[in-house]
Amino acid sequence: MKYLMRHLTVALVILSPIVAMGQDHNMMNHAGMEMGAGDSLAWRMPPMNMSMPMLPGLENAVPVVGPFLAGQGMNPMIFPEGEPRRVVEMADGDTLHLEASLIRRTIGEKVFVMYGYNRQYPGPLIRAERGSEVTVHFTNNIELPTTVHWHGLRLDNASDGVPGVTQPPVLRGESFTYQLKFPDTGIYWYHPHMREDIQQDLGLYGNMLVDPENEGYYSPVNREEVLVLDDLLVDATGIIPYGDEAPTHALMGRFGNVMLTNGMTDYGLSVQRGEVVRFYITNVANSRTFNLVFEGARAKIVASDVSKYEREDYVSSVVIAPAERYVVEVLFDEPGTFSIKNKVQAINHFRGVFYPEEHLLGTVEVGEDAVSVSHREEFEMARVNLDVAEDLLRYRSEFDRTPDHTLELTLRVKGLPLPIVRSMEIDTLYVPPVEWNDAMPMMNWLSSAEQVDWVIRDVDTGRENMDIDWSFGVGDVVKIRVFNNPKSFHPMHHPFHIHGQRFLVVSMDGVKNPNLVWKDTAIVPVGSTMDFLVDMSNPGDWMAHCHIAEHLHSGMMLGFSVTEGDRSQ
Amino acid sequence: MKRLLFLAAFLLTAGALTLPVSPSVGSPAGSTCAVGDGPPRYYAIDLVTTRRLPGARMARGKADVVFARSPFGLALSADGSYVYELLISIDNLAPARNGAYVAWVTTPQLDQRVRLGALDADHKVSGSVGWNKFLVVVTLEDDEAEGAQSWTGPVVVRGMSRSGLMHTQAGHGPFEAEPCAVYGY
Repeated sequence: MKYLMRHLTVALVILSPIVAMGQDHNMMNHAGMEMGAGDSLAWRMPPMNMSMPMLPGLENAVPVVGPFLAGQGMNPMIFPEGEPRRVVEMADGDTLHLEASLIRRTIGEKVFVMYGYNRQYPGPLIRAERGSEVTVHFTNNIELPTTVHWHGLRLDNASDGVPGVTQPPVLRGESFTYQLKFPDTGIYWYHPHMREDIQQDLGLYGNMLVDPENEGYYSPVNREEVLVLDDLLVDATGIIPYGDEAPTHALMGRFGNVMLTNGMTDYGLSVQRGEVVRFYITNVANSRTFNLVFEGARAKIVASDVSKYEREDYVSSVVIAPAERYVVEVLFDEPGTFSIKNKVQAINHFRGVFYPEEHLLGTVEVGEDAVSVSHREEFEMARVNLDVAEDLLRYRSEFDRTPDHTLELTLRVKGLPLPIVRSMEIDTLYVPPVEWNDAMPMMNWLSSAEQVDWVIRDVDTGRENMDIDWSFGVGDVVKIRVFNNPKSFHPMHHPFHIHGQRFLVVSMDGVKNPNLVWKDTAIVPVGSTMDFLVDMSNPGDWMAHCHIAEHLHSGMMLGFSVTEGDRSQ
Repeated sequence: MKRLLFLAAFLLTAGALTLPVSPSVGSPAGSTCAVGDGPPRYYAIDLVTTRRLPGARMARGKADVVFARSPFGLALSADGSYVYELLISIDNLAPARNGAYVAWVTTPQLDQRVRLGALDADHKVSGSVGWNKFLVVVTLEDDEAEGAQSWTGPVVVRGMSRSGLMHTQAGHGPFEAEPCAVYGY
């Protein structure tokens, strides 16, 4: 597998049709937003809130990789204008034709060349019933090789969309057919599994909403909304270029400075007073963890990636890491205009202080007139989900046993500019923030995946990343302990994703999880040790990896196989 | 000869313009630190005596810091601050003859203070804190100070969250030439 991945990477670099253009050092501008006009493919430092001096020695530095932008050099007007997402209701046996292509997007008042599935942003919302199976005939019409990964679905391995593992890359003009299965109710999403840092960031993502078979699965609500949270990194010239041969922003991931909700900067919703809205929320950002706050309303957490919680719970915010999903019911009780915000404590690295930061993600207009059918009573009752508890019964005896495998999350860097390394060595950032978009953007921007090795290490064997090759049998219940080493060179919270299976976070830092939910992605905070109990129910060759796009492409992934009849090793 | 000189000058110039880069830095293979299943030692707060009280001169303790229970794993408040659960324990502390030992958390500026609770007979107490940077103090109060906004008695032990070690980079390291005063320090 490792052999294949290595050669595939080399092949993709050779096949890449994009030629890096000249690097214009004069485009560097410490103020960021005040760039002059010029070729937008030239490297220029991302615009940030500059409240500190430039790190000495980096004044004219640019990434070691070449810059890449979609459709670079072509007139944006030749591409079709993207359209808002449409819902595709699919019955068992239906077929969807899905195409990835270049589109023109207007965000704010700016026009960008981006990507879209079926020219939509986000891609089509596939709505299907639990237990159904559908076919997706995919065609690639972007300039990069791609695949489609159906995130969270426990589908057949051949349709998992991992290049070099389950399928070859889909080159421009080629097609691939995926068979989708929906064994679990909930909200799922699809995205490329090649250069996500570019392709996903430029708009290749969409949701799958799997409806329950029985009506009482969720509480009754007045309305359902599917929210996709994202961010995009732009300046006055356009989208800040991506790394061509390898991603930039390899240390912290690429944080954007324009927040997008369902691909828009002005998401709005109008409801009547007293409405209960069920939001299905997905974070598709490369690196940003959102802390979503519904101002002027009360929120109740209902479900996450692959199931409902054992018990519903009222929350003041929704903390959602890249690739995670949450289902939240919100009661809008008072008339008025309310914001949906991302509220975090950002970091001023230079001063060594945290400070509050807010991003507007949307607006909800609550009318004066009361809703005709009130679901307040059901909202006020936090359900205990007996069906979830019953499903968990056969796993409870496994919760307290010794882990089968222990992983450590860490990193190595090589060939980074010395000022960056020296600065990191004396860093006083003892508690990593959720929001890394601080006053030292050049350090992050200048780090490429060629200089940073994010590492998943098997503590028992010393093997790392794709050299880890576990084997399990179908039906195995495997306990994996994951430790995010706080003393690594650059600790970060990592959203850890396991393909093709579902897992429980049974404990964190020795504290048992009192309210379980089936997950496919969970954030592992710096310094924490989390115990995952993985239900190896689905045969095939699978991956597990950090879902920060730049970390994945800096090596932070492992492989495992699940075979019929074998026991775990 | 002229060509050689030109070439040498070119190479020297090119070398001077090349950004110096680091060798491999980071965690070498097989050097993992201990993986436990309890509170992370990394965030633990050492509580040290102020030596101000009889019976407390040899006191020492710690506050284990774990993320508060959250359906999201990572616990954040509505303003984005981390929410931690503190588990405080003090050793070598004589029982309070008059009054009670009470644990508090406060911001580094001391402008906000929250009572965590009175220490039990084993000199332990737990409570939650919703700040990214904070101090922990245990004071000797006349009573358990329930409902009190702040402490009034002497501080027995104190400690600082790991994030309290964060400070400005002005005036040292790569920013040695930056005057601290410009940045308000």
